[in-house]
Amino acid sequence: MNWTLFSIGANGWGDELLWGFALTMTLAIAAYVIGTVIGLFAALALLSKSRILRPVSAAYGTIFRSVPELLILFLTYYGAALMIRSTFALIGIDLRVSLDAFTAGVVALALVHGAYTAEVFRGAIISVPTGLREAARSLGMTPFVTFHRIVFPVALRYAFPGLSNLWMVMIKNTPLVSAIGLADLIGQANTAGQNTKHYFAFFTAALIAYLLVSAVSLWGQIRLERNLTRHLPKQGSWSP
Amino acid sequence: MIMDFETLLSTLPGFAEGLAWTLFLTVSVLFFGMIIALMIVPCRLSRNRAANGFGLTFVFVFRGAPLLVLLFLIYYGVPELPIVRDTFLWHAFQHPVFCAILALSLNSAGYLTEVIVGAVRAVPRGEIEAAHVAGLSRWTVIKGIIAPNAIRLGLRNYGNEMIFVVKATSIASLVTIQELMARASGVYYRTYDPITPLLIAGAIFLVLILALSSFMALLEVRLSPELRRKAERARPRAGKTAPGLTAVDGPSLPQTPGTGR
Repeated sequence: MNWTLFSIGANGWGDELLWGFALTMTLAIAAYVIGTVIGLFAALALLSKSRILRPVSAAYGTIFRSVPELLILFLTYYGAALMIRSTFALIGIDLRVSLDAFTAGVVALALVHGAYTAEVFRGAIISVPTGLREAARSLGMTPFVTFHRIVFPVALRYAFPGLSNLWMVMIKNTPLVSAIGLADLIGQANTAGQNTKHYFAFFTAALIAYLLVSAVSLWGQIRLERNLTRHLPKQGSWSP
Repeated sequence: MIMDFETLLSTLPGFAEGLAWTLFLTVSVLFFGMIIALMIVPCRLSRNRAANGFGLTFVFVFRGAPLLVLLFLIYYGVPELPIVRDTFLWHAFQHPVFCAILALSLNSAGYLTEVIVGAVRAVPRGEIEAAHVAGLSRWTVIKGIIAPNAIRLGLRNYGNEMIFVVKATSIASLVTIQELMARASGVYYRTYDPITPLLIAGAIFLVLILALSSFMALLEVRLSPELRRKAERARPRAGKTAPGLTAVDGPSLPQTPGTGR
């Protein structure tokens, strides 16, 4: 094994790979945060009584969970600017927008993540005991305060396992952005492989990096879960 | 630059071929993934430390690794190794279809193993003990008690896994396989219309997956007596049951942390 391949500086690809890794993580975190917010609103729409919001949110969930992530990514990257432009052209505004690869990647991954998160939040909000909600309402809390102070904090705890699973999914979806030309970890490993003809070493390194991220996330998940549930009686795994 | 109707029609045979490739990949991956998983499951269920450790490592590696990394490693990286370069294996690893099926199957096997292990562990302990007490042989217990129960319990998770395989085959387009995704990109490069071909491919995927998931839901009801009875009872007063709580509300498996799906 030739370790100079991974050295930092002009001779090795270490710094390129690290930049790629940083890009991958930035992208994953950005998409995760945005997608979780989308998912929360989609879940609220699913649970609302509105005749419009509910089917729209259900359709969003079904479509974005059924269509391959790669396709959504391509559609966002190649099609979104065109779609925005033709929509504005309808009302007579010539708006020239362009979406760079990073934004397209974040938007696409966030939309997919949001569709899955909506289901997680929906299930979590449903499992919050009605008694809590009723008690809060009878104390005179407005619906918003009830949700914000009572329902949401409890739901968040129920949603935690689902949300952390989706973080793992997010990490494993990020390599797709190399297909729209972003220099993420896989993109950089690919470039390094093309230049040195040592694909095996670089892709193995990338694989190990991803496994490490998975392992660290799993460890963090267990720690956080223990922390979140430390006030609950200990009997095996906690349950609602 | 939205394409006209005639150009659109001329692309349809290409999409049909793409669909055939997608289905072929899906079926092969489901088949080989299951075979690999069935080899790993005994390791995971065994009390032998080494075997169990091997099973756990397999699951950790192939479930923790992004599919694309696995695919590129197999397609670009593995042919570099001397043992592959100098033997007949080289011909196999030259072929994108072989590499795609291998990568997807290994990844799917990682998830499938945990689905099967979870289902087997969820089989009620008492039934197995009763069967042992009744003097049934080990094999009969597996065949007659554990397998039918586990299949029923694992069916929903298996259905989800099937859906992920259908979606994951789109990644094969990145190693030159002409499945649906690749066809859509091909049409885009020819006509400079990115939206129409991608929407067509997306619609095909959507129909495929909705059909698959409703078929799996039906199968689950067919195979589970308690759900079947519930569905029959629910039918006369179908209007009163809450949406989403009718048929598919059976026993579910506990979620294992960190499964990532």
